Amino acid sequence: MDLSRRHFIEASLGTSMVGALGACSVNPRGAEAATGLSGQAGMPDWHIGYQNAPTHGFEPAPMQLVFGKPPADLKGSLYRNGPAQFQYGEQFASHWFDGDGLVHRIAIEDGQAVHQARFVATRKRREELVADKFLAPGFGTLGDESYSVQSSDDVNAANTSVLMVNGELLALWEAGSAFAMNAETLDTKGPKTWRDDLKGMPFLAHPKVEPDGRVWNLAVGGPRVGIYRISKSGVLEDFGMVDIGRAAYIHDWTMTERHLIILVQPWINENLRPPVVAGFEWQPQHGLQMLIVDKDDFTRQRWAQAPARMFFHTGSAWEDSDGTIKFDVVLYKQPVLGVGGGAAEIRGEWTGYESREDGILTQVVIPTSGDAKLVETGIVGEFPQVDPRYRGKQRRMTALTSGSTPNRPGTTGLATHDWSTGRSQNFAFGDNRIVEEFLFVPKAGGASDTESWLVGSVLNLKAGVTEVCVFDAANVNDGPVCIWQADYSWPLGFHGTWA
Amino acid sequence: MTRTSALIALMATSIVATPIATASDLTVTVEGISDVKGSIMMGLFDETTYNGDGAVSGANLKVEGSAVTATFADLEPGEYAVRLYHDVNDDGEMNTNPFGMPTEPYAFSNDAKGRFGPAKWDDAKFIVEADGTAHTITMN
Repeated sequence: MDLSRRHFIEASLGTSMVGALGACSVNPRGAEAATGLSGQAGMPDWHIGYQNAPTHGFEPAPMQLVFGKPPADLKGSLYRNGPAQFQYGEQFASHWFDGDGLVHRIAIEDGQAVHQARFVATRKRREELVADKFLAPGFGTLGDESYSVQSSDDVNAANTSVLMVNGELLALWEAGSAFAMNAETLDTKGPKTWRDDLKGMPFLAHPKVEPDGRVWNLAVGGPRVGIYRISKSGVLEDFGMVDIGRAAYIHDWTMTERHLIILVQPWINENLRPPVVAGFEWQPQHGLQMLIVDKDDFTRQRWAQAPARMFFHTGSAWEDSDGTIKFDVVLYKQPVLGVGGGAAEIRGEWTGYESREDGILTQVVIPTSGDAKLVETGIVGEFPQVDPRYRGKQRRMTALTSGSTPNRPGTTGLATHDWSTGRSQNFAFGDNRIVEEFLFVPKAGGASDTESWLVGSVLNLKAGVTEVCVFDAANVNDGPVCIWQADYSWPLGFHGTWA
Repeated sequence: MTRTSALIALMATSIVATPIATASDLTVTVEGISDVKGSIMMGLFDETTYNGDGAVSGANLKVEGSAVTATFADLEPGEYAVRLYHDVNDDGEMNTNPFGMPTEPYAFSNDAKGRFGPAKWDDAKFIVEADGTAHTITMN
């Protein structure tokens, strides 16, 4: 990176590369946000990440290129999902995780980026909008007694991730059906039923897609877990059930080319009644157990054992030639929820820094026999991602959000770790930007996962707008390759996909 | 999950058709049937049987249109409730997914709906008058 480029990024991004001097208030476009979410009176600047999106979402609007040169080969759409309804009148949502899902599409082609977003039209969304208040029970919400609940989809917030299968966009939650959506207009079609006898079965928000397009996913219901195998054309090929012994909280899992690895963390919830968050119990005596299931025969299973850890997200797994399984995951020494996190932020309150537990990017090594080993990288972060061409296969790279600040929730940087060299890179955006999940997008003709772009969104707190940034996965230290900026901000989200 | 199992057990209660109508009849019409095939399996309950395994009476009604009607004769006037499911594939069972949630449509009198389980008696009950009563349930 030449000096002038670094200087511009420091000035415009307010990075911490030059310490406090880097926290510059210059907005590259020279003006405050014209439309969209503006800060509520008396709220801290970061609260724009937890404010309602417009009721009808965002109509397609071009984003402005404010830095760099977009890669010529970058063509496709970044789809993202996240909660975006936090308030009806004076009533705040009880938990961040219970906000209605807003699905975004940032279409990128010929150096241009266009943003649009629509809420997923769930029953919860429709009825609460009419009532102008929160009704449905949920993860952190007791709910209104008048709201009937006859299936998990009656409380489905469809707010956690997205998946594209055979041209159909699916909005994902973890305790109910996927919701099918039009990938162009983002109109909601309705709950996805993979087979008549599986109607209403949960479809986890972290499906795993093999490089050839086959999709694997889990349905979690206490100690019983269903396994979906879906062809790249979107047809259910197989479904089976396995017993994991305990009602462990399962948000994510991982797989190699041959095996599914279901992480049974000692964070147990036997009482899946609203508010779900109240039912968690940390039982470290069980350790972190892993059920390894043969993809070709779900009855062929073995268990592996590791020290007690809590987790939300894995990167991906592979198997060495001797059968040793290795995967990366962000591990916490104890749970990070259940202490009020996710509720106070909606009200603009931030007391979480003192009580936080750092998640460490860790490689879990499972030998063919004996206990698993945890190899910590020392990188504090979340939302680990890998190149989709290498899911289940040996690879070099993991990218994840990194860094934190005492002043607000959310991360401050983007990191990569190269498992083959042990080298890490990091770009610190500074305190004025909240960094969201970045996805690998293979470069045209790229032969390895270092030859990828990293594409993700960043909430610019100074300018009050959301940005989409592109990095070169091999040179994250150098900062963004380009940045597009919206005229407005949108609420912080969870996960996305590139299609 | 316990409540789900209870719901299924209650919905699957064995029921017997009673086609003859006289005074103190109850006529139950089920509207809004979306899938014109299979049968509506209907159970009629009083307060003592509502949460148990037995029914006061019942009907098995072939679905040949968007609505079906059942008539229950010679009832004692008083409070009753209806539970029904649409046996779409006519296998005689209320089908469920692997986690025990119904995969076939079901309904209760008063169009009552449950909250993590079947509708409560107080929400589903209605009065059968001495001179007869007609009740309509709408599937959704």
